[in-house]
Amino acid sequence: MTGLTAASRTARAWLRRPAAGLAALLLLALSGLAVVTARGPGAAATPAEQVHAIATGLRCPVCRDLSVADSPAPLAREMRDRIAEGVAAGKPPETIRREFVAAYGESVLLVPPRRGAGLVPWVAPALLLAGGLVAAVLALRRWRGRAPAASAGPPPSARTSGADRRLLERALARIDEEAP
Amino acid sequence: MSGRALLPVAAVVVAVALAAWLGLAGLGRDPGAIRSPLLDRPAPDFALRTLGADRMVRLADLRGQVVVLNFWASWCAECRVEHPALDAAWGRFRDAGVVLVGVDFQDDHPSALAYLSERGTGWPVVADPGSRTALAYGVYGIPETFFIGPDGRIAARQVGPVTYDQLVREITRLLPGGRGPAGAPAAGSRSA
Repeated sequence: MTGLTAASRTARAWLRRPAAGLAALLLLALSGLAVVTARGPGAAATPAEQVHAIATGLRCPVCRDLSVADSPAPLAREMRDRIAEGVAAGKPPETIRREFVAAYGESVLLVPPRRGAGLVPWVAPALLLAGGLVAAVLALRRWRGRAPAASAGPPPSARTSGADRRLLERALARIDEEAP
Repeated sequence: MSGRALLPVAAVVVAVALAAWLGLAGLGRDPGAIRSPLLDRPAPDFALRTLGADRMVRLADLRGQVVVLNFWASWCAECRVEHPALDAAWGRFRDAGVVLVGVDFQDDHPSALAYLSERGTGWPVVADPGSRTALAYGVYGIPETFFIGPDGRIAARQVGPVTYDQLVREITRLLPGGRGPAGAPAAGSRSA
């Protein structure tokens, strides 16, 4: 029970400080992402899994945006057969991929190479994230800088309440007059 | 203009520059019109049996001749369109050190044989089990034609139906001395 109480206390503390809670969640998600990215796709164990893994990274040349693994086209089926032959012959996946690149060019790769124009999809998310963070920090700093200036005068309620009250009284009086 | 006002302008300039670079780098191109990475490279070798299975055609045996490798199928409508052009070019160049080889692509052999006998095709046509040769040549869709020079290198590639003029132009360019049997001058242009 004590564990549950402690958990609910933590949850209540997070509810009081949503920013800290959100930051903790973001940290958790990012660390999970980092682990997945560092490990990469799980190593294919059986030959069939290896064939599937290689076929998933190759574009079916006679299709629009379908991988060799997903395409029902006869040419894709024959590509899967060639990949299976390569795997059975003990060729490394990179060698098998290079054979298709030699015939079809790099456009046969569904994952862009990390150079030239292919570098853009690799680098752009990190650049956009960094730009967004910088923009967020700048915006936060600007809002913080504004807040003390606004609270320097009398509190908003004190400044407006007198005029508001008079307005309200007048309106209520009019309703009373109009009422039969 | 203050630094803060310049920021959006700079962002727009960067975005436009990036878009222009991506456009130039070829992301806007039709993926079907990709230049073959095999151009100017040794043509992948093959040893394929003719459709009647009476003899083998080996690319290595054809070294020193101009080889026109035509991927086609009996089910392919555009192959019917280009067949007369291939027939005319074969009639003109068959005794001039030029070999035309048809590669039957993902076809059933009885239909292919019927198609060939219907049209009286004179050049050797081979079967390509498992599309091995088509995959080695990076064939996207048929008809597709490769022009292989006497040095065994791929000089040009045509995706889609080939015309008679194109066949004459590419073949005469590859023949020694750049002149065909009719003395047609060589043209410099090349296909995809």
